[in-house]
Order: sequence, then structure tokens, then C-alpha cells
Amino acid sequence: MSEFLERPRTACALAGALSAIGNLPDVIPIVHTSIGCGGNLANSVAFGSGYLGGGYCNGGQAPSTGVTETEIVFGGADRLQEQIKNTLELIDGKLYVVATGCMTEMIGDDTAGVVSEFRDEGYPILAVSTPSFKGDSYHGYDIVLDGIFNKYLPKAEDKNPKLINIFGLVPGYDPFFRGDLEEIERLLTAMGLEVNTFFTPGQTFENLASAPGAALNIVLSRVWGVELAERFEERHGTPYWVTDLPIGPDATDKLLREIAGRFGLDADNVTEKGNKEFYGYFERCADAFCDQDLKFYAITVTNSTYAIPLARFVSRELGWVHTGSFVTDKLADAQKLALQSEIPLKFATGVQEIARSINTDHPQNGAQRYFDDLSPLYIIGSTLEKRTAAARGAKHLSVSFPAYDRLITDRGYAGYRGGLHLFEDLIGQIMGVKQ
Amino acid sequence: MAKKIKQIAIYGKGGIGKSTTTSNLTAALSKQGYKVMQFGCDPKADSTNTLRDGSYIPTVLDTLREKGSVKAHDVIFEGFNGIYCVEAGGPAPGVGCAGRGIITAVELFKQQKVFEGLGLDFVIYDVLGDVVCGGFAMPIREGIAQHVFTVSSGDFMSIYASNNLFKGIKKYSNNGGALLGGLIANSINQGYSREIVDDFAARTKTQIIQYVPRSITVTQSELKGKTTIEAAPDSEQAKVYIQLAERIAAHEESKVPAPLELDELRAWAASWSDKLLQLETGVVVGGEQAGI
Repeated sequence: MSEFLERPRTACALAGALSAIGNLPDVIPIVHTSIGCGGNLANSVAFGSGYLGGGYCNGGQAPSTGVTETEIVFGGADRLQEQIKNTLELIDGKLYVVATGCMTEMIGDDTAGVVSEFRDEGYPILAVSTPSFKGDSYHGYDIVLDGIFNKYLPKAEDKNPKLINIFGLVPGYDPFFRGDLEEIERLLTAMGLEVNTFFTPGQTFENLASAPGAALNIVLSRVWGVELAERFEERHGTPYWVTDLPIGPDATDKLLREIAGRFGLDADNVTEKGNKEFYGYFERCADAFCDQDLKFYAITVTNSTYAIPLARFVSRELGWVHTGSFVTDKLADAQKLALQSEIPLKFATGVQEIARSINTDHPQNGAQRYFDDLSPLYIIGSTLEKRTAAARGAKHLSVSFPAYDRLITDRGYAGYRGGLHLFEDLIGQIMGVKQ
Repeated sequence: MAKKIKQIAIYGKGGIGKSTTTSNLTAALSKQGYKVMQFGCDPKADSTNTLRDGSYIPTVLDTLREKGSVKAHDVIFEGFNGIYCVEAGGPAPGVGCAGRGIITAVELFKQQKVFEGLGLDFVIYDVLGDVVCGGFAMPIREGIAQHVFTVSSGDFMSIYASNNLFKGIKKYSNNGGALLGGLIANSINQGYSREIVDDFAARTKTQIIQYVPRSITVTQSELKGKTTIEAAPDSEQAKVYIQLAERIAAHEESKVPAPLELDELRAWAASWSDKLLQLETGVVVGGEQAGI
């Protein structure tokens, strides 16, 4: 039976590309595709990622060629040329990225050719090929960054031995990308390192420009950003390290010690301070947490980046019984293989498919008195899991895309502070219900 | 009651004589008193040249590009004996989507109900080469042509293109698409090439509607920018085209062809290669009768 698409957890490559570009400082997208693509795709993260919105000349304001039948028949090169010219004239930016959609790719527009003419004239511009048939939004992230770092930016003459680039968190499709990146940046900076995270408000175009000179690339996802880092190494000679996003003190300690070891630094100050802070707050809630017996069976429904870190946090830090991890992004076999760990994973995307799987694995008691009915249950997933949770009387928190039942600004779950935030959000949900 | 317009699409491999055959067919139908439109569906836009003394006409798509909209009557030009000539046109080679262009041009005519207004008896679509994508299948899709004829010689690549066309027709046949009227065997001078097309037609369950020999009269006429019907109306070749026009005018029932799968087609071609070799080397008697 062929698959059907219902309540998707990602959009096309162009959507991922636009979301990435839209969160890079002073980078302006120029969308080369049909009317409607840019706006509709912007909405997927503008609303679906905790109301991330658009930003300067992004989202619904992104310059677009909006090709129609004339361009489809005769080619859209002239229209693209016009749009680039107007955009350069009207919109301030330090880098312009032309991202293509399906229509212009299908008819074989020579986008790179048009863009290279402007490049030859000295304009900071590059083209990336992001039709939906190249992959989903996660691929779009990879394609854009590959374009900027591995095709556009010149090779660094000198390496900065203390500079680290962080990859792997996909803007929008990892709803907490900003908060997570800021916490990682905070911790590594405290250890004496310099950090490029690119996508947070505190970053500038200088962070992009300096990236080729980094001493190390850290990829906080076992899947996304890995190929990008491989090609980065080929081009700029910067080695990369793939690891999991650290959530909570246990995972964060390990990450910081590993990095400290690589750079010949001491992590103790930072880890000690982090632990003191985490447990200083945590212990104050311990009475509420323990006395009210806030222990749960936990099922997580997230993308591959969050699956393992989240499962480890709820089991190792909170002591809950983790009883299932659904990984919702579409992965190739090699990518699935990269996710092997002590956490058993299930690969599924459909909301009903996941609901069915939960109900099959954990049938409800049917009025029997002695029955392990997996209760109390907590489903930590996307907003799409809300109904599944309600049907089982389970608690629910949205942490993965799409998350439109909560507003997200600088909140993140990475690091020590992120661990506290996650704890706070998980328990806060229950307290609210208890009133 | 409005008169029933017979819409016919002529397909075939590029360079096989499709436009020549189509223009002569159109001219012959016109001479027989029918009102005819020839609709060139090829970005080269040269289908109707020999109906207009070798001159090119502005195309539907060029006009659309320049003016933003097209009134069909602005792109219809009269040619030999009052034949209406239209060229769909298309993008420059290597850019855009010519297939989509054909769809746009044909739909524009359909929407504006042009054919009914002109009181036409026949619309003949002359369609580029192979059915490479959905756009070039447009004339055989629902509501456009009723009958399709393919022009093919005895050469394998030409037959291959026809077989692809048959696949296209079969695909759309369940959806009210055009059906196959038959095969116009072109450049048939040697006996064996006639045998080859006959055999192909039999295997794909279609008929040969006319055999058109290769003739210098056609070349001479074309060099003058005319069809054979116009330049040499009493020639033997003109008679062939007139007969073709009569047969097509009388043709009523088209069928779903039975295209060969690629493996079958290759095996079939290989079997003919063996036969030709035997004829040539005299292993089998009868080479002379076969024209070798």
C-alpha cells in the first residue's frame, strides 16, 4: 500500500531552506518558484514551531519570483534576473541566497548561471537547489548550509584554535533551536571557547564569515548536519564530532568534559557550577515531585535529534519509566543505523500509526483489576499527539514539530538550564491540570 | 445542429516527413472541399510553412509572451486554398518547458471555442517527434483529437517512436483520449521496408492507411515552399496524398493499439535484422521480389 500524507511533521526542502535562511543574520532569501510557495512554506514554521514567525524580509515578506505560466513555458531566467536586481536594490543584506522550488527545477532553469552573473559583478549571492523532490525540510537545512559554507565562503587562511561551529539543530523543525543553541554557547564560552551558533539573535554575519576558520565542528544530531560537516572538513579542513544534544546535567557534564579534553581545557568549573545550579533549583521542588508521586511512564514522539537525549533525560534524570521512543523524521537505513543506542527506537511518522502502535503495545485494562495498563502515562511529542494522549488519559507536552499549542521564544531544553526548563514544563503541565 | 469537427493528430519521429505528409493531407482535404485547420505543435513552428509559400507565422506562445493574452483569431493565418494555419510555438531550445507550451496553446484554442466558430470540418495537429512528456501527449488527451495517425518509415528508430506513441494512446484510452486510426507508411520504396511496417502494424493490431513512396516531386515542391498538392497537383505523388485524404475523410473507427514492450520490440527488430541479412546474402531466395 502506498503511503499517505496526513498531518505532516516536516515540509519540503525549500521550507527548510527558507527557515534556515530566515534565522541567519543579514541573510536574505530570494525564492525562485511559483506563486504561493514562499508564503505557504513560511507559515509552516511561523505557526507550527511555537509561533516562530518570520523576521526581516523573511517569511511572508521573502522576495520571490512567483513564476507563472509564461515563465514555465519560456523559462524563468529573465524573471529571476529581474527579481535579484530589484532585491539587491531594495533590501539590505550581507548575503543573498536564491532558493529554488519544484517548478523552476522541473523546467531546468539555469539558476546557478543567472546567479553567477551577479556574483561576477561582485554581489554577495549564491544559489541553492531545494525542490521538494530533493528531500524534506531537514535536507533543506543541509543544502543551504552546504551552499554557504562549502560553496560560497572562501577557505580560511588561518584557523582560530578556540573557535567551534555548532550544527545539527534545524531552525523551526527543532522548535527549541534558539534556546538550545544559546545554552550550548553559554557553556562553551564559559570554558574559554568561541562559539558560532549562527541562528540566534545574538549572532551576527561575522559568525558566518568566521566559520571556515573554526577548529572543530560539533554536530548535535546523529543525522542532520553530518554530511554538511563531512564536506566542511573536505573544504576547510575542520574536523567534526557528532554527538547527542545534551539535556540535563548528566549528558551536559559528559559533553563538556569531552570538548574540554579535545581543547586541553578544564571543564570542572563549568560543570560544577552547572550542577550546583541545576540541583540547587531541583531540590527545592523535590518535595512536590516526590510527595505527589509525579512518576510516569513516558513515551516520546520526536525527530531523531531529540529522541535519544529526551529518553535519557526522563529515565536517568527524572527516574521515569521510559517505554517507547518514536522517531518521526524520514530516514535512510544508514541514518537509522547511526541512531543505535541503549534506547530502542521505533520509526513512524503518521499520527494514527503512532497512536495505534501505542495502543497495541499497551492495551488498556478493560476493567480488570490487576493489570499493567501503563498508567500514569506521559506522551512527550508534538501538538499532534495531544489527542492520542487525551484518548488514553495521558499527560502531554509538546516538544517537537509541529508545536502550536505553546509559544516558544528563548526556551530550550539543552544543557543544565534546559534540563531544568524541561523538568519545569513537564511538571508544570500536571500542576495546571490539578487545580 | 453544429457540424461535427473531425480532429486528427499526426505524430512521428522527427525528420520522418511528418510535416510534409500533414501539409499535403491538409491541402488535399481542402481541395476536396473541406474546411481545414492545420495546428503545428512543435516549438520549431515550421509545420505550416509549405502551406504559406515557405513563410513563418507568429506563434500562439510568442504572441502570449509579448501581449500577455491571446485572441485566437490573431494567431490564425490563411494559407493555400483558405486553409487556416496555426503554430503553437514554444521556448528557445534548452530553456523552459515546450511540453507545457503545447498544453497552453491547445487549451487556449479550446477555451475560446475557435473551431466551432470557423465552421471547420477538420483540425489536423502536427505534433513534434516522440511523446516525450505529458505536454506532447496533449492532442491525444481527452477532448482534443479523436483520431491519431502516425507517420513511420521502415527504420527501427521511427518504429520505436511510433510504438512509444501507441503506449501513450493506450494510456489515455480509458479516459476518453484519442484512439489510433492507423499508420502512414512514409518513404516506402523498397519491398522489405513495406514488409517491416506491415509486420509492425500487424503485431500492434493497427492498420496501414497509406503507403507513401519517397519522391523527388515532394522535394522539388518543398524547395519552392509549397506542398505537392499545390505545386504538382497532377503528379503521381499528389494522387497518393489525395487517396490518403479520402481514406482519412472516410475513416470513422479508431482503435486502442497493442504496443510492444521494449524487450519484445528489440527481439522483433533483431529478427528482422536476421531476415534482411539472409535476403542480402542470398540464404533465402526471394530477395529480388523483396526489392533487395
